[in-house]
Amino acid sequence: MGRATYIRNRLVLMVFVLFGVTIVIFSMVHFLPGDPAAILLGDRATVQNAADLREQLGLNRPLPEQYWMFISGLVQGQMGTSLMFRQPVSEMVLSRVPISLALAAYAMGLAAAFTLFFGLLAAVNKGRLVDQVIRVVFLLILTTPNFWFGILLILVLSLGFKWFPVAGFGVTLQEHLWYLFLPALTLGLQFSAVLIRNLRSQVILTLRSDFARTARSKGLPERMVLVRHVLRNALLSTVTIFGVQFGYLVGGALVIETVFAVPGIGQLLFTSITSRDYPVVQAIVVVSAVLVIVVNLIVDLSYSFLDPRVTYE
Amino acid sequence: MFARNGRWLTLLSQSLGTALLLSACGAPTPAAPAAAPTTAPAAAGAPTTAAAKPTAAAAAPTTAPAAANKTPVVLKMARNQEPGIFVPWLIDDNTALFTMANVYDGLLRVTKDGTSVEAALATKWETTPDGLTWTFTLRPGVKFSDGSPLTSNDVKVSLDLARGGQRTTWKDNYKAIKEVQASDPGTVKIVLTQPHAPLLSELAMFPAWIMKADMATATDAKGYDDTLAWASKGTGAYYTESWKKGDPLILKRNANYWKNTPTVDEVRIEYVPDDNTRVLKLQGGEDDIVDFVPFSQLSALSAQPNIKAQNFLIQQSTFIILNNTKPPLNDVKVRQALNYATDKEAIIKSVFFGQGQAMAAPIPLGTYVDKNAPGYPYDLAKAKALMAESSVPNGFTLPMIVANNNQDRINTAIILKDEWAKIGVVVDVQQLESAAQRAAYHGEGNFMATPSAWTNDMNDPTEIVNYEMRGGEGSGSFAYWTRYNNPELSDKITAADLEQDPVKREAAYVDIQRTFMNDAPLVFIANLGATAAWRSNVTGFAIDGLSYYRFEDVALAK
Repeated sequence: MGRATYIRNRLVLMVFVLFGVTIVIFSMVHFLPGDPAAILLGDRATVQNAADLREQLGLNRPLPEQYWMFISGLVQGQMGTSLMFRQPVSEMVLSRVPISLALAAYAMGLAAAFTLFFGLLAAVNKGRLVDQVIRVVFLLILTTPNFWFGILLILVLSLGFKWFPVAGFGVTLQEHLWYLFLPALTLGLQFSAVLIRNLRSQVILTLRSDFARTARSKGLPERMVLVRHVLRNALLSTVTIFGVQFGYLVGGALVIETVFAVPGIGQLLFTSITSRDYPVVQAIVVVSAVLVIVVNLIVDLSYSFLDPRVTYE
Repeated sequence: MFARNGRWLTLLSQSLGTALLLSACGAPTPAAPAAAPTTAPAAAGAPTTAAAKPTAAAAAPTTAPAAANKTPVVLKMARNQEPGIFVPWLIDDNTALFTMANVYDGLLRVTKDGTSVEAALATKWETTPDGLTWTFTLRPGVKFSDGSPLTSNDVKVSLDLARGGQRTTWKDNYKAIKEVQASDPGTVKIVLTQPHAPLLSELAMFPAWIMKADMATATDAKGYDDTLAWASKGTGAYYTESWKKGDPLILKRNANYWKNTPTVDEVRIEYVPDDNTRVLKLQGGEDDIVDFVPFSQLSALSAQPNIKAQNFLIQQSTFIILNNTKPPLNDVKVRQALNYATDKEAIIKSVFFGQGQAMAAPIPLGTYVDKNAPGYPYDLAKAKALMAESSVPNGFTLPMIVANNNQDRINTAIILKDEWAKIGVVVDVQQLESAAQRAAYHGEGNFMATPSAWTNDMNDPTEIVNYEMRGGEGSGSFAYWTRYNNPELSDKITAADLEQDPVKREAAYVDIQRTFMNDAPLVFIANLGATAAWRSNVTGFAIDGLSYYRFEDVALAK
């Protein structure tokens, strides 16, 4: 099967997956206890006020009818209206996707850089002090809750050294990059902690392989062996983890977007779940699912670039 | 290596996993403001007539704010929530309310202490001797931010929508109004169905803010896009050109403002949900003012050289809602025992870091509050004696549901668990996701106890008394979800609304409070405040009794 056919099949499968996602998420948000009308109106709402609002919002209609409205709207690119903000959901969600994507890409870019540098450094210095320090430091980073780690970075890098802004998003592209650095660093360091461990062990394994020995015996310098032969092979499993992590991240880094006041889909999801803003939660989950599937597809395709032996059957 | 039989299964599980994960993430939420906004009792004064207050200059300056070559003064604020709808009679969240208090005016305005009303768009008001017709003289020369003049028709259209629009959620507050007449461009007449003492306070409340007639009418049309109202044109000190959720909200100075010329040209309000981040942004100089500062950080922040932090006592109180229909909470002795067994000072000290006052009267500290109310001082002996005489002398288990996103209330419940154990009441604290918790005590009433709070929306006790103390089917909220019902008290509440004499009204409200207090449908805890912090180059910032803040009073030094 060629790459084009493979991609086509995967895209067809995506439709079924998304259909499943819509059913699961619709059921989950509607079966959770909590009345959006009561939440919208607050504690002062009278029973009558809440009943009127439920009627107005269409929450009194039978669930299958509500699902049909959701799914038929989705097919036409309409995701309904936010219960909380009475604004078209598609506009609210889609305008935030690039922000979350940018944050995810930024974080993964930093994570990739840290991983390559520290993963290789630890591997080639296996058992030495450098290796031990890298492993301990990143283990600490991995086990620290990210909201706390984020605040720690703010305290040191923003309030202490005044290198970066505390939180927000900025207005110009340059500001966006500057404002997003700390949240990206927080996420990037934590992700790289997982990736470094994986890359280190893979590189150590691959360094012992026959083809590495052959490369060395051909007289290739160690650096060439490492970069051209060992790293490319060792990266395969790291890229898999990278893809999975990236997939989770594009769905919005809920806590980090909240701590750093980044107006991405994670932050929106966070508030929408609490206010039982069904249409927004549903839309974010569907959009996230699409992103996760696409990212996974890209990761799968990247294997053949890393290792030409990979075929799509 | 990578022939993928069953690959779709992997995909499916990944996608569903994501969906599950995302939908399960309902845990912590951004610090929610206690209950709803507004406020207080009031309207004490302003009996029948007039009090014309020629407060401000008639016509307002129409010139551009900042002189051409002057850098505009921009004030930056970080807030814990994003606003929702900007149409006055559709407002249902505090943030929209606080924002729009800077954009819209009513005929009257609540005084800063939150206990009375003063002139705003009306400079003079008087009533006929029977109390059925009120005449309001509009302030001459008032213009909306787009330069168009305010007329009595704008007032009529806005008030008619607030009291009878298809979408208004506040019509109950205005049901005493029979008709609003725009007699001439400068005069508005309000005809009532019966004398109604709280009218002036209700006109100073946010649903009665005045929009331009055409814009107001448009908001009531079926399918109206509420985001259109994010471009606001009011008679207040500021206006908004547009907004998009997720972006900072920008208030621009209204050059036509009738009252004075604010010194801040632009207010940029950004949404920073995390409490710690807001404070850090203030410390880092990225914001000039932040709201909802955690009580625990107030004193540390105040000690910093460039920052001021304060707790403003507003008309807000916190208490435990008891389900008065569930045994043994249907026994008044049990409810009183719980009140006596509550060490309010200990809760204020531990949970609110000393920022509060023990609640002696059942309504917040505002108009007609019962200043000599005995309350329920902490008295373990009395509590034990009451328990011994009650239907459950050996104690009982009391499940208490608490929203898992409100740490103050969780802490309160934990302290009560310890305190009430001393009278044999075993509190079972059950943390629920906030929407689920609200569904439990609003809907089926399948709960025993839950911590809650109240903030006055108006400067007259009629609101809290009708909402929190009136019981029965027609009461709307079953006496603030307690399911308490004392028909005799309900009659007294009705009579107090009809009473026109302020002295007699005050006596009536004291009587109502004593009765309610004695019946103890709630466990009364503390009167609380609203917190904010600002950099020391900001002057004039304050949160008033009804928890509004007005940027027109704020100045920013370089």
